[in-house]
Amino acid sequence: MKRVGIDVGGTFTDVVLVDDADGRVWSAKVPTTPRDRVLGAVEGFQRILALSGVASCEVGFLGHGTTMATNMVVEGKGAPVALITTKGFRDILELRRVSRHDRADLYDLMFRNPRPLVPRRWRLEVAERIRADGGVEERLDEAALAALAERIASSEIEAVAVSFLHAYLSPVHERIALGILRSCLPDLFICASHDVNPEAMEYERTSSTVINAMLGPVCGRYIRRLEEMLKRLGFAGELLFMQSNGGLATPALVAERPLVLLESGPAGGVSAAARSCEQADIRNAILGDMGGTTFDVSLIRDFRPELRTKNLLDTYAVRTPSIDIDSVGAGGGSIVWIDAGGGVRIGPHSAGADPGPACYGRGGTDATVTDCNVVLGYIDPDRFLGGEFHLDAGAAWRAVEETIARPLGIGAVQAAETVRAVANARMAQAIRIMTVERGFDPRDFSYICYGGAGPLHALDLATEIGIRRVVIPPLPGLFSAFGMTVADQQYDFQAPVGATLDELTDADLTQCFADLEALGTEEVARAGLGAAAPAIIRRADCCYVGQPDVIAVELTGGDRIAALRRNFEAAHLRLWNFASPGKAVMLANIRVQIVARSGWRGGTAGEAGAAAARGCGERHMHLDGVWSTLPVFPRATIPAGACIEGPAVIEEHSSSVVLRKSQSAVVDGNLNLVIELAA
Amino acid sequence: MDIITYEIIRSGLYAIAREMKIAMMRTAGSPLMHASGDSSAAIFDPEMQLVAQGNDIPTMLGSAVISTKVSVEAIGRKNLRPGDVIVSNDVYLGGGNHQPDVQFTRPVFVDGEIVAFVMTRGHWTDIGGQSPGSYTVATWDVFAEGVRIPPVLLYRNDEPVRDVLALIRTNSRLHDELMLDIQAQYAGTFVGDRRIAALARKYGTEAVLAAMRRSLDHSETLIRQAIRAIPNGVYTAEERLDPIEAPGWQPESPLLKVAVTVADEHMVFDYSGTGAQVRGGINCPLAVTCNSTWFTVKAITDVTIPINQGCYRPVTIIAPEGSVLNCRYPASVVSGNTETSPRVIDLLLRALAPAVPERVVGQSNCAACAGIFSGRDPDAVRVQRMGRAFVTMHDVHAGGMGARSDADGVNGIRVYVGNAGSQPVELIEQVSPLLVEEWCLVPDSGGAGRFRGGLTSCRTYRVNYDEATFTVSGERGRSAPAGQFGGRAGSLFLCRVQEAGGGERMVAAKGGVTVVKRGDRVSIQPAGSGGYGDPRERKRAAIEADLADGYVTAEAVLRDYGLISKPREAAMAEQPR
Repeated sequence: MKRVGIDVGGTFTDVVLVDDADGRVWSAKVPTTPRDRVLGAVEGFQRILALSGVASCEVGFLGHGTTMATNMVVEGKGAPVALITTKGFRDILELRRVSRHDRADLYDLMFRNPRPLVPRRWRLEVAERIRADGGVEERLDEAALAALAERIASSEIEAVAVSFLHAYLSPVHERIALGILRSCLPDLFICASHDVNPEAMEYERTSSTVINAMLGPVCGRYIRRLEEMLKRLGFAGELLFMQSNGGLATPALVAERPLVLLESGPAGGVSAAARSCEQADIRNAILGDMGGTTFDVSLIRDFRPELRTKNLLDTYAVRTPSIDIDSVGAGGGSIVWIDAGGGVRIGPHSAGADPGPACYGRGGTDATVTDCNVVLGYIDPDRFLGGEFHLDAGAAWRAVEETIARPLGIGAVQAAETVRAVANARMAQAIRIMTVERGFDPRDFSYICYGGAGPLHALDLATEIGIRRVVIPPLPGLFSAFGMTVADQQYDFQAPVGATLDELTDADLTQCFADLEALGTEEVARAGLGAAAPAIIRRADCCYVGQPDVIAVELTGGDRIAALRRNFEAAHLRLWNFASPGKAVMLANIRVQIVARSGWRGGTAGEAGAAAARGCGERHMHLDGVWSTLPVFPRATIPAGACIEGPAVIEEHSSSVVLRKSQSAVVDGNLNLVIELAA
Repeated sequence: MDIITYEIIRSGLYAIAREMKIAMMRTAGSPLMHASGDSSAAIFDPEMQLVAQGNDIPTMLGSAVISTKVSVEAIGRKNLRPGDVIVSNDVYLGGGNHQPDVQFTRPVFVDGEIVAFVMTRGHWTDIGGQSPGSYTVATWDVFAEGVRIPPVLLYRNDEPVRDVLALIRTNSRLHDELMLDIQAQYAGTFVGDRRIAALARKYGTEAVLAAMRRSLDHSETLIRQAIRAIPNGVYTAEERLDPIEAPGWQPESPLLKVAVTVADEHMVFDYSGTGAQVRGGINCPLAVTCNSTWFTVKAITDVTIPINQGCYRPVTIIAPEGSVLNCRYPASVVSGNTETSPRVIDLLLRALAPAVPERVVGQSNCAACAGIFSGRDPDAVRVQRMGRAFVTMHDVHAGGMGARSDADGVNGIRVYVGNAGSQPVELIEQVSPLLVEEWCLVPDSGGAGRFRGGLTSCRTYRVNYDEATFTVSGERGRSAPAGQFGGRAGSLFLCRVQEAGGGERMVAAKGGVTVVKRGDRVSIQPAGSGGYGDPRERKRAAIEADLADGYVTAEAVLRDYGLISKPREAAMAEQPR
């Protein structure tokens, strides 16, 4: 079968086509069309068909990821939403937790507070109240709610979010409200907090529900249009969407819960990396994705991506299972500047795609990390993106000379070297902080890098941190799109419990999970999950009574309370360095993950046609203080099992890696480049 | 030294400060430290100059500039050995900011020489004293605020000094979680020690020391240049602090007074004329006054300058001893750190407004506004579940932050030197006999102006304790947050108890302990904030939007902006609530 992955990024739409019969891969890059992203996606699909000579009806599977949802939240361009809350609490969305947000410099009096996602005029209230024990304190005023619905009906509002206090414990009022709203407003996208995120803590639940609502109408239209246009082109295969949790889901489920699309782009890369780990038998890995504007770090543990259930997106709280990813503003396009005291600063501003780094030759005059890599020879201006995109080396030299070297009073080469060293130190620090924060030692992990700029810095980063093994998978520059073709389907469900472990029996626990699994299985079946028998992973969110944060603990050792307590305390010990065996443990929520092993598990045979395109050559570059000439090996020509000794450059379509004298790279059976570093 | 080594060591030091804080949060036992992150970490050079800090609580970091020096000098540098950790909280003997914030200071030795000091500072939830939570303003002296710890060694050779530990443990109502917090702060210093030693081994001690010196000079150069952009002159302001209003107290409103002299690259902050210290915990030790001053300098110059003690070198502070801004033993101080301190910043912003009009904001609510309920839990199920019969609920409250020169103020937010968050409503109701009836923004609480002040919020609790003590530590109950350049003032702090029996009484911002009973309703509303610029210059579209959003009422629009015509959206603002 032919499988296609389409990853719609902020600037480019990446497309890959894999023939799973022989593992051949084709790839293409087209500009993203921000006004109507479907057009770019469809353009990419047509391009890859033309390139590979495959007919649309031969494509049996299409995995799709998009940053659309993220952009809509960040840019505030979702559908107009009305929020309905318990009387007295409409301002929760604006007050949040009252501390300044995670990105504010605390000394900054001018910090920008992101706008509330719903303007206050559309934050509406209705009398009702559920208590913390789930009992009804005050009945829902249904007549008042109907009156609100009438007001909404005659407005520009396209979606409604309902979020009542303690609705996660007792959804009775939210359900009645949904009934009334759906009958009064049949054409609107309507969702309620007990359904989107049935979990305690009102701000995070309300925020998640509102984001789901603002995405609903737009994502729904996008999905329908994409389905339609692909069908018109003759595509008759299966279309699935990449979710934040690193798994794929059917269009029907995604349309109902577009919240799951928020980390859709980066999740593709992480699920591809998980597959690489599975094949290369790498149990634990740190993933570094260096793109144009950010450096993203995430983890694979026990062959699975680490997930988190709580996230901040541009300071807005979102709770949905999502790959655990941390970003620092140190991408290839980050602008470098020298402050008045002679300090070297990188970012936070980025040259973006337009004008982009100076070497793009589109009028950018600020030097970026990419320009420094051009000056030093880490990037060959004639072979960037396989030579499709010629870089202006002169412009890179000029920018580095004028904006970095001159203010520092040093030469351009030394300036570029300085920037590379500082950027590497910043990324190494980010990796260290990401891992120690979660209770791990980075030296116990392998390092897998991707993104166009990832391999350029990988060996220096790993050396700095003390990581022994670096793995560069095939197609590092198209890894997210590739991930869309190999990922499994994965669906997450959750339910609140709100009782301590002492108050529950093993039978209660079994029953809770059985109920949630039945609900999840039914929903998945309704959405048309493929034939493969799904695996079910059970997790429980626990905390010591009174703690505001929960830890998601996997249920191993059966549905036994004792085992759950043991696993929770081990996790608490790892994360916080202590456990309190005498203290009551609260079981806040249970979670069920249904995974269908539907993804492709074959190996790639490298990029089709790439080998013939390039011959060997040489690269003149500045390495460890001296100019030297290194032999260049096109990656596609290196067969599995071969070993390349440094000094050498291994070059491919979207990136390259530079081996120093004592370093060597081995190509494994799955065409990963594996570099073992000295301790 | 070459620029590469310099930049790597410099950024490395800031990363180490962050890692110290992470190590601390990962080990702490109290929610305040491990979840709210009410703790900070910093690195000092061998001369006890602060060279790097995390994006932590400003009040803890500025004051550490003083307390680290005092701590080290108290023990004597020559008496320190590898693996020693000094503990101290005392404002008089340890240079602290207030008694609940406790500092651990540790020398970092490489090859027998001290190359750095590292410090961690955490807010201990209870350090004994007069009331649970150690946060009451109506006290006679510092002894009533909790245990006094002068600089003493808590660890020797990485082993706890058992006697000192036992003494501290005995003085907290929450000793079990405190023991974890102590381990956490120790762990933070340990991580800092190891990482700095590794840096010195990799690049050489001399390089690390040189990078520290250069980093201080670097920030000093940048801040001097930024100060140069401020017009020379003498800028003055004076205001009165709110009095303590408790039985047995004479209401005193001490004067806060400042003359700021800007002379080229230098600034002098002279607080002469400030009123004498008073009875009650609103006094500031010198560390707090310095911190408020330094915070303001950083805020009105350039926040992107890497922060370290070099930023403070061109700043001279004169605070008369025995005044409310440099109090002498044994004045009590607890709210000097959280309420008087922001008032000092507001004072400075008022003084400096003519000099840097685009960098100041309207005055703000100026309070952590800690409200604490404590009493026996009547719910047997919860008592069983929580394993305790008494429950103390400690919550902070969000007021307004003043308007800026180009934007409205921020609604419902912690301002300036503190940043701990408030408790989620659903958590409060889960763990305590309180029901939150309302939490909302308060219309018209932000002062009118070309840009409107940020609104405050009001949280109303229904008491389900049979009986509980209630204390609140507020600010601006008497002096409203003023506007800048013609902007109007915001609303005052208000705290009201509506009694179950139908009566009503007000609670002062700085009062004593009051008793509340089942069915009472307690509303806490911090102050609003001031506007910026003449209200007549406010854009009509902005006024109409505010009206439609209910941030202002139609009456206020008429009063403040002289607009009579009722905008179309006004009907929306008057929705049933």
